[in-house]
Amino acid sequence: MKIRKMAWRNLWRRKRRTYITALSIGFGVLLSVTFIGIADDSYTKMINTSAVMGLGHVTIEPKGYNETPSLDKRLGDTKEIAEKILQMEDINDALTRIMGQAMIASANKSIGGAFMAIDPGRETGDSNLFIRSIVEGHLFSETDGQGVLVGTRVAKKLNLSIGKKLVYTTTDVNGEIVSEIARVTGIFETGVSEVDGAMILLPIDRIRTVLSYKPEEASLISVVVEDQRRSADMRNMILRGLNDPVLEVLSWRETQSDLSSIISLDKAGNRIIIILIGLLIAAGILNTLLMSVMERTREFGIMMAIGMSPSTLFRLVIMESIWLAILGLILGIIITIPWYAFMYYHGIDFTGMIGSDYSASGVIIDPVVKIRLFRESAAWILTGLFTLTILSGIYPAWRAGHVPPVESLKEL
Amino acid sequence: MKDQAIVMLEDASKYYRQGQMEVRAVDGLSFEIHKGDFAALCGPSGSGKTTVLNLIGGLDVPTGGKVYLEGQDIGVMSRSRLSAIRRDRIGFVFQAYNLIPVMTAYENAAFVLTLQGIPDHECHKRVMSILKEVGLEGLEHRRPDEMSGGQQQRVAIARAIVTQPAIVLADEPTANVDSANADSLLRLMERLNHESGITFLFSTHDQRVIDRAHRIIRLHDGKMESDEVFS
Repeated sequence: MKIRKMAWRNLWRRKRRTYITALSIGFGVLLSVTFIGIADDSYTKMINTSAVMGLGHVTIEPKGYNETPSLDKRLGDTKEIAEKILQMEDINDALTRIMGQAMIASANKSIGGAFMAIDPGRETGDSNLFIRSIVEGHLFSETDGQGVLVGTRVAKKLNLSIGKKLVYTTTDVNGEIVSEIARVTGIFETGVSEVDGAMILLPIDRIRTVLSYKPEEASLISVVVEDQRRSADMRNMILRGLNDPVLEVLSWRETQSDLSSIISLDKAGNRIIIILIGLLIAAGILNTLLMSVMERTREFGIMMAIGMSPSTLFRLVIMESIWLAILGLILGIIITIPWYAFMYYHGIDFTGMIGSDYSASGVIIDPVVKIRLFRESAAWILTGLFTLTILSGIYPAWRAGHVPPVESLKEL
Repeated sequence: MKDQAIVMLEDASKYYRQGQMEVRAVDGLSFEIHKGDFAALCGPSGSGKTTVLNLIGGLDVPTGGKVYLEGQDIGVMSRSRLSAIRRDRIGFVFQAYNLIPVMTAYENAAFVLTLQGIPDHECHKRVMSILKEVGLEGLEHRRPDEMSGGQQQRVAIARAIVTQPAIVLADEPTANVDSANADSLLRLMERLNHESGITFLFSTHDQRVIDRAHRIIRLHDGKMESDEVFS
């Protein structure tokens, strides 16, 4: 009889124990999928949301802009660069933007704020969170040079509504103070109070004129990629593709270092939880296999007496742990699928617990917790638990092969 | 047939420590077992019978003296070499059958052949032939818990002889079976010895085994009391 067949039969000597151990591995799959799936989903949402708030997954900007952003640092030939980038694979959009600080004033009040100048003909809700978050009015048209989109809190502070005027004041490329009138065409609400209370969106062509920029000049090009996990690869690809020493190509990890730190910290916490889950499962498996080995000490003695080598005996017990791992993982997949489906499609709404301001580091967090597991995470969970089960079998397997046969035969 | 020594003990000893006391389980024993022997080690409990079988079978190593199997010194062999020797050259029959419970009669009998890496078709031929020889034809798919004690011991004998070992070491093989089964098993082993020339060495108290043995080595306190050969 082949070792694997024998190991499989050995597993069913104590059915209840095998099922309980397999179930604990399965429960480990469920817990790991839940923790890692929530992380995969929430990180992706945070990164994608951050990307459509202005800087993209990858940003092309003038050297030094990331450290000290200012309106006198600008890119030229943005149209040509954007077209070149759009020809690359897995790029969803490449959007030219001018970003800066401004004083925003209405008839009776003024506040400090920030503006993002966009091309209304190119931008949509898919690549721009502010457009997606319009709660009143609409985005200014390509021909409307004086249109402006304001946050709800800006509108509230300055007592603005659709059709009302505001004045924004900033400095141009020469350091001169410049002002311009704009008329509110829409109001957005992202849910992040600091953004809704300071941000306005303006038409890029008008801003170029106001700031004395040349026709194709801009602060940056914001690149939205198909899959955020590939941001670093895409950054390198764009860097190689553009090959321009004047430009700086940065991934979201560099431009959104706060967000990157939060995610890294959260990932570290998750790892600790996963390791603890793993250790608990490993202790259970070790206990099962060790008990199973100890109660068969005499049988192992017989096997060695009739010629089974310690290494074959070791392989037999390891094979038992392999079967246990396979069984546990299959059971885990079976119990996880309905839970995953529920959490993927519906999730759990934590709005009541989180409150009205769902943000971290200026990025909106979805209060509905969902699960979305990446393929590599699923592979990591299955491989990790499989390996853990095998590792748990090593000591019992070693022990099985190292009890002298003459001692084993004395066991009752 | 009996000119070649399969087993040779030269002043073999096995001492154990039990607390402060030294127990001499085997004390300076010397004898030879020849090809075709049908020999019994007998003596009271604690006389060293099982220890002698363990030494010959390479399950234990002597504290002093030498134990040779087919001319090779067992005391200096590595664990893996001892495993190979037990697999290829020794057949064991234990008092409590000691079949592997998850295997059928066929699989138990074929177990050592599988360890030897014998191809399936060859293995099947040999196992079926041996099972027929020990009277278990038709029971090959039964597991140990579906067989009587006598049937289980026949499977154990089949397992011990299927590899055509140099010697079969049988530790109290009739102790757990009734008289009818004990007689039947002894007849079987006698026939295997007579017809196939398989060498048997028993440890036993059972008078029925002693009555059928061609050679009786009596032990007392680990020492040889007598060594009688009957024609």
